[in-house]
Amino acid sequence: MEDTLYAVRQKVYPRAVTGRFATWRWILVWATQLLFYGLCWVPWNGRQALLLDVVERKFYIFGWVFWPQDVFFLAILLIISAYSLFFFTAVAGRLWCGYSCPQTVYTEIFMWIEEKIEGNRSQRMKLDQSPMSARKLAIKAAKFGTWGLLSLWTGFTLVGYFTPIHELVHEAATFSFGPWELFWICFYGGFTYLFAGVMREQVCKYMCPYARFQGVMFDPDTLVITYDPERGEPRGPRKKGPDPKSIGKGDCVDCGICVQVCPTGIDIRNGMQYECIGCAACIDACDQVMEKMSYPKGLIRYTTENAMKRHWGRKEIVGHVMRPRILIYAGVLVALCMALVWGLATRSTLRVDVIKDRSTLSREVEGGLIANVYNLQVMNMTEKPRRFALSASGLDGVQVSPSQPFEVDAAGLKSVTIEVAVPPESGKPGSNTVYIEVKALDDETVSVREKTAFLMPR
Amino acid sequence: MFKLIQIFWPSFLVAGVAEIVFFTVINPQELYLFGETVHFSSIATYSIGFFGFWLVCAGSSLLTIFFQQTADEVNRTDPS
Repeated sequence: MEDTLYAVRQKVYPRAVTGRFATWRWILVWATQLLFYGLCWVPWNGRQALLLDVVERKFYIFGWVFWPQDVFFLAILLIISAYSLFFFTAVAGRLWCGYSCPQTVYTEIFMWIEEKIEGNRSQRMKLDQSPMSARKLAIKAAKFGTWGLLSLWTGFTLVGYFTPIHELVHEAATFSFGPWELFWICFYGGFTYLFAGVMREQVCKYMCPYARFQGVMFDPDTLVITYDPERGEPRGPRKKGPDPKSIGKGDCVDCGICVQVCPTGIDIRNGMQYECIGCAACIDACDQVMEKMSYPKGLIRYTTENAMKRHWGRKEIVGHVMRPRILIYAGVLVALCMALVWGLATRSTLRVDVIKDRSTLSREVEGGLIANVYNLQVMNMTEKPRRFALSASGLDGVQVSPSQPFEVDAAGLKSVTIEVAVPPESGKPGSNTVYIEVKALDDETVSVREKTAFLMPR
Repeated sequence: MFKLIQIFWPSFLVAGVAEIVFFTVINPQELYLFGETVHFSSIATYSIGFFGFWLVCAGSSLLTIFFQQTADEVNRTDPS
């Protein structure tokens, strides 16, 4: 026993497992980590394809450039993520936790390294119990060193999404990191090491908010990993061969392998427990044992509470997936995704803010005209420089200067001071409405018309 | 250790959210510090901002932990 962090914790030595669900987990480990470690190296338009440039306050995502004004898209994305979580949890429990949560993914990678260096479960337990020796020190150093390198690489990759990774490589080569860059590499790397190497299942048990409330998203038709006690009990060891019923036993041979493979160290045969992260390692392990015993597989399987009670077959279980709750979640999810796609497709590449100059309300200029001064903030959201023309409307005889088109840099913001002038007889004293239009010269469809107030002297 | 996590972990999560919301809306270059514009680099401002949020939230968590105790527990007096 070791007294760590929250509770007195029995260190868990998960036994490595292979099988259908373990393969799925590895597929997701590869998919998510190829994306994470790889995407920062992909070039696009002469820059990094995904760069969250917090210094310039612009997010580059493939062909898009997002500004702080686009926070709407981030909000939709977060709502989609939340609904996906509800949807998948209602269908089949903690799929996210079991297969794609970074905590699971990094723990899986760290455990793989551990297994390669320290050996299998019993070798690891023996090593931990043995007194310190040169051999133990060397093995432990190799493990901690490999974990450390991987963690540093993970931190480096994360920072590479905020600082262009090629600059970071250059800084690494000469070891001239900015102080905060170095700090964040170590901070994120350190937490990766701590969470995936040391704390592991305790993060899920004590620190994860989702683990605490996911129970409310379950209903009796949710697929969860379940031990079939009707079939398994009474459990007990036996020799291979006789039909279990003939010796008065159930199918469970009480080998304990389902407990040994569990990364959170629980016994699934005690029923559903909040510690279960739904990784299905016990299903893979038990299926192998059943196969060896020549019993049918699925003593531990994905099934629902209702199916267990009413002895449903596969067809009825699948039929109950299509229940109102799931259909509502799916409908909302589809609508949100469509809104996101529509929003991105119709997103304007030009944005204009008109700010009235407060220092002079209105003044008379040459030719007896009345003029108001405005400040335009023109944002060019494309990655090429563009020229824009100005025009004004809404009042008779309105003119605007400068009349020449002006240029805005690629993904740039330009502040333009403009003067709008009208003959005194075309507006009433006080506030009048005027429209200022900014139009791209290279694309007729890109234009923004902003409404603003024009003040006439009383 | 248990109490340290109760103080620093929830505050870390909330500080992360606060950081994102705050700096989405406010450009660090437009902040003023004692009447002068902030002269740190953006990354430094973001980082200091995050730790500032974390510290404030941790202060709140600390008080929560404190008020969860009864007066007897705080004063170490024997309730009986």
